Amino acid sequence: MANVQLRGVRKTYPNGAVAVRGVDMVVEDGEFIVFVGPSGCGKSTLLRMIAGLEKITEGDISIEDRRINDVSPADRDVAMVFQNYALYPHMTVRGNMSYGLKNRGMPKDEINRKVEEAAELLRISDFLDRQPNQLSGGQRQRVAMGRAIVREPKVFLFDEPLSNLDAKLRVQMRIEIKRLQRRLNVTSIYVTHDQTEAMTLADRLAVINDGKIEQIGAPIDLYNNPASLFVASFIGSPQVNLLPVTFDGSRLINGELAIDGFSDLPQSTPLVLGIRPDDLSQASHGQFTMRVDIVEQHGADNLIYGALHGITNAEEDGAEFCFKASHDLLPPLESSLSLGFDASKAMVFDQQSGQRLI
Amino acid sequence: MVNTPLKGLLARCYAHAVLIGGLVFLLGPVLLIISSSTHTTQTLQQQGLQWFVGDQFVQNYSRILAFEAGFFDQVTPLAMLKNSLIVGFGVALLTTLFSILTAYAIVFFRMPGARWIFWIVFATLLFPLESRFITTFQVAVSLNLVNSYLGIVLPVLAMALGTFFFRQYFLTLPEQLTEAAILDGAGPVKFFLDIVVPLSLGRAGAIFVIAFMIGWNQYLWPLMVSTDDTLYTLVRGIRLIGQESGPGMALVVITILPPFVLLVVFQRWFYRSLHSIDTH
Repeated sequence: MANVQLRGVRKTYPNGAVAVRGVDMVVEDGEFIVFVGPSGCGKSTLLRMIAGLEKITEGDISIEDRRINDVSPADRDVAMVFQNYALYPHMTVRGNMSYGLKNRGMPKDEINRKVEEAAELLRISDFLDRQPNQLSGGQRQRVAMGRAIVREPKVFLFDEPLSNLDAKLRVQMRIEIKRLQRRLNVTSIYVTHDQTEAMTLADRLAVINDGKIEQIGAPIDLYNNPASLFVASFIGSPQVNLLPVTFDGSRLINGELAIDGFSDLPQSTPLVLGIRPDDLSQASHGQFTMRVDIVEQHGADNLIYGALHGITNAEEDGAEFCFKASHDLLPPLESSLSLGFDASKAMVFDQQSGQRLI
Repeated sequence: MVNTPLKGLLARCYAHAVLIGGLVFLLGPVLLIISSSTHTTQTLQQQGLQWFVGDQFVQNYSRILAFEAGFFDQVTPLAMLKNSLIVGFGVALLTTLFSILTAYAIVFFRMPGARWIFWIVFATLLFPLESRFITTFQVAVSLNLVNSYLGIVLPVLAMALGTFFFRQYFLTLPEQLTEAAILDGAGPVKFFLDIVVPLSLGRAGAIFVIAFMIGWNQYLWPLMVSTDDTLYTLVRGIRLIGQESGPGMALVVITILPPFVLLVVFQRWFYRSLHSIDTH
């Protein structure tokens, strides 16, 4: 077990492109931390720097208080699970899992014992003598995890390990990874662009944007209390509803729309009002009137999409509001719905800086 | 859709007709040589090559096996066979080895100008040995390689095609495979021996066979670089005995045999690598 410390970590590629612009954080002992962010935000680069597959341009990374900047990847005591599994195609499952141990000069019977233990844990004991091309995607991913487990590393690194699996299997493996990590209690860093995966797996979630950590915290805190527009819009599915507004001293204004219940906001700058789809509710005299466009029936609940009456300057993709209702609310298309929300649950951001104001 | 079975049958017949045609075209000359090798020299010289098997099999083959030539009778079929095998296997082994090593260096190591080095290697395809005989001979002389196996083998074995062949394959290997190996504690040598070589065996087999053929079929260069009777190869020996004689034909048949056997042995690997299904 070990903690991982990142201090002022930066990555600049030789061509001048900056992938990571100063990351400071501590991953606690046994913690499951998830880096989430859009593609190209630098999350994978950060992970690969911890693994030693990318050079660290600036700053320090330590594992258990040992600075590892110049330690070779093999000696950092980390194991990595790759998106495409990266199994050795010509070796059996057993061969794949034992290769790293063999290279470290471990005695044969000890290797066998460890491999069989890990295989048992991952329920791949029956496939030990098969080759990767005889396995399904899920089984291959298990082997890849087995290869990491047998090494008993201080840190597990996962680089989007579930992206190549189909949706059903992804959910299944997600649960299994979580269970495994709980059981082994190994410090783990997991990279994904899938916010559901991030929310469900993480002890703590680091939302990364443009090479910086936007916010870090427990998933539910990030959901309830996003510090910025970016975090608010990235975390949560369906996405948060965003409406550009201005403040006139007592109300938020957009076109004919005027919403009461806000104070202490700057009047000169453009703002963005954010409301989660599940914070909306049907009300006889609500703040919004929505013209129903599409109803998605998800079984337990319905997602009702539509444009708001009276607004003028909504962006193209923000023009549609989403309202999460129970499954028995099935309004006819083109009909009008009156929606209300609790002002205390609404979020207001500065449009320019993205900073949360309320 | 009604006549699909009939269509399928027609398509199969057509495919088989094409294949049989190709087979006859390729096999015809070989059969012609084999049957001709069982006729007397007189028949061959008066009536040309023979399609049907004659009655001189034992005589021709025993004569050729007992054949001796050269100042000290050192040029015998067995001696020539030995030389050919040494040259063939030498070229095959070294070519395969250098091709895979060059490709490994070019693909897996971030060396400056790797791309340019590759294209320079590739450009040597434009200069076959025949186009640089005189300079190559001068080099061979100055390195004291005249009249040695090494002298026959070395200039033949730089095979850009082999490097290209391996390079193309290495480029298809996912980068994560290398990274997984690095994390598993495999250095460049271990990665090469444990991962790259086993994965490339099929391709290596194909290159081996092709390089063997090239080495085996060398005629002009061995003729130039060796004056010693003990270095005669089979291909050179054919000329010594005379192509239009019965025993000469028998020697031709003997000359075709080893590459044929090799091809049969390597056939499975050969096809597999050409189909490139052995990736993942």
